[in-house]
Amino acid sequence: MTNWNAMTDAEFRSEVRGFFEAEYPEELRHLPHRPKFAEIAHWHVKLHAKGWVAPAWPAEFGGMGLEAAKLLIFYEEQQRYGVNRGRDMGIQMVGPLIIKFGTQDQKDYWLPRILTCEDIWCQGYSEPGAGSDLANLRTSAVIEGDEFVINGQKTWTTMAHDATHIFMLVRTDADAPRKQQGISFVLASVDQPGVEVRTITTLAGETEFCEVFFDNARTPRANLVGELNKGWSMAKALLSFERIFIGSPSLAQNALGQLETFARGRGCFSDAAFCDSFAEVALDVEDHAALYSRFADQLKRGETLGADVSMLKIWVTETYQRISELMIEAAGPDGGTVGPLQIGNISVDVLASFYKARPTTIYGGSNEIQRNILSKAVLGL
Amino acid sequence: MTTEQEEDLRLLRDSARTLLERAGGTARARRVRDDGAGWDADVWRDLAEAGVLGVTTPEDSGGLGMGLSAAGVIAEEVGRVIAPEPVVPSVAMAIGLMHRLCADGPDLERAISGEITLAVAWQERDTRGVSDTIACRLEGGALTGSKDWVMGLADAAPVLVIAKGSNGLALVRVEGDATGVTRRAVRQSDGSALSALDFAATPVEVLAEGAHVAEALGAAVADATALTAAELVGLSAAALDLTLEYIKTREQFDKPIGSFQVIQHRAVDMKIMQEVAEAAVREALGTMESATSPLTRIRQASRAKARACTAAQKITREAIQLHGAVGYTDEFDVGLLLNRALVLSAWLGDAKYHRRRWLEARDTEEAGK
Repeated sequence: MTNWNAMTDAEFRSEVRGFFEAEYPEELRHLPHRPKFAEIAHWHVKLHAKGWVAPAWPAEFGGMGLEAAKLLIFYEEQQRYGVNRGRDMGIQMVGPLIIKFGTQDQKDYWLPRILTCEDIWCQGYSEPGAGSDLANLRTSAVIEGDEFVINGQKTWTTMAHDATHIFMLVRTDADAPRKQQGISFVLASVDQPGVEVRTITTLAGETEFCEVFFDNARTPRANLVGELNKGWSMAKALLSFERIFIGSPSLAQNALGQLETFARGRGCFSDAAFCDSFAEVALDVEDHAALYSRFADQLKRGETLGADVSMLKIWVTETYQRISELMIEAAGPDGGTVGPLQIGNISVDVLASFYKARPTTIYGGSNEIQRNILSKAVLGL
Repeated sequence: MTTEQEEDLRLLRDSARTLLERAGGTARARRVRDDGAGWDADVWRDLAEAGVLGVTTPEDSGGLGMGLSAAGVIAEEVGRVIAPEPVVPSVAMAIGLMHRLCADGPDLERAISGEITLAVAWQERDTRGVSDTIACRLEGGALTGSKDWVMGLADAAPVLVIAKGSNGLALVRVEGDATGVTRRAVRQSDGSALSALDFAATPVEVLAEGAHVAEALGAAVADATALTAAELVGLSAAALDLTLEYIKTREQFDKPIGSFQVIQHRAVDMKIMQEVAEAAVREALGTMESATSPLTRIRQASRAKARACTAAQKITREAIQLHGAVGYTDEFDVGLLLNRALVLSAWLGDAKYHRRRWLEARDTEEAGK
């Protein structure tokens, strides 16, 4: 077993880059949509054979056991080369939770199946009445003998129509004094009579999000992870690393590269007003990267990140949106055209990139919620 | 940056902050402005004694040899209390030019020790604003032409001038009482003055002449630009701190106004602006410190100034708004910060100017790779 953490950062980066460049299928680079598993299965087989499916998991559970610094490098290279993250909800969310809070039986059963993608997971958190106010969730799980009986509705469930299982926050005590109490974390099969999945069509015309309806759906009591009614704090404990990942510069950097190529092709740089706007967003990206490095250095020194890391997400997503808006501007009269625009040998789908930027300020805790958090936890207001 | 370097900078910051706070903090800026004295001779001497003026000058020329990041730390602290002394113009322009061009002359040591304060006159005005050529000419040891936007020029003090000689640019010294000089002090929003100078066959002492003068000027201007950015970062930090304190204590509708979400979100945006500016400017200074190519230095200096101007203007203007009506009075320090931000943003090029220059430098640099 290779000890990746013993490598220098440069060696490790070159190792990761080399593997992606040699092995990642060209046709899957920078995919504009979230693929179903079948579309990327051939890549997943290679990744699994290499032992790189779960970079953050400890080696004893089949992961790479990367420390924070190496993990950041891994993700930076992944995004730089446009490597699709695959169906990674199991890897990113449920796996770490089982590793941290699960029983030995749960680890033995679920973890290997996550690595092989025998089970494909989706996340059942949001509900129609529980978005930013997630603790307001109502989907209930009532114990009947050896089973939970689940009733209610989840929504914005990414790729539920291509998932075999769902990990969910459910209400197990309706009488708890605070709504954050009485919430539990359970695992359930999607493929059962009491579960119905409907796709939601987005502005981009895609069907990545779903609604999931539970009508007396069932799951064994053994699928409760951690203690009953303690799901809320467990789910929150997971978010620490995600908070820097969601604020990483790569989305905006890639979009900026795309904007520059497109704008050059269309001769936009002969327009002084366009140059001004371009320089503004380009510097917004570059200066954000300076702040990102500061937080990354903190992680590398082994420090935990504070709530102030949310600044990264706010800045980068809003910059990303401005870049995508400039792209529409650069397209001029073609700004409303569906599908790729061809300029010479360059093909750019400006609408797709515009749409793709919209939800970034909404997901992962909307930017307004992030501002609330910063105001309270960082500014002390 | 190593842990040891970081520790050095932390100590430097502490001592600069202590010195400037003891001198009177922001209240001193108001007093100096009202007195019309320009700056405090005593504080200037204290700063010189602390080694501040020679921070970037190599040790064998009598400085601390610490590099641009260290100068940035000092500039941030100067900005934080709006110290009226011309620290950045002296360190980056006058002393920066002299240690590059005439390190053996007597003026360098005297300038580092604070015995003399030299301003540098290099920019010229044409009908559109800043001229991009130097028209001031040096002929037969005499100077003729006009200079503008000279920061830190005391009454009757000697001045260093960049002129066009027979052999490229020249750095010359004009005595305070030289003949054929007209000086005009143009009052600025913060109470300071930028000077405009006219020379008519003024006798000068030539300190350096040749192609290396243009090179040294480029380096000095890049340093001054980036250090002004650092000064703006310190100033923005002070405006943010004042505002946060104010919205936590000012009550309306029986609660602190900082409890209202609309105020909170605006304060958060100021905070993010500030953090991005601080990170970007410090990174730019660090990159410049180790850069060998002039193009890299220009690119980073412009990046720093563009960001710092944008942040300082946004933050000081928001600061006034969040203070409400009292923010519009001269009694509150937040107005001093706004006025200083106007001057420092305009000097050596505003955000728009530097974004354009950054883009040009970036394109040239990338094309060369």
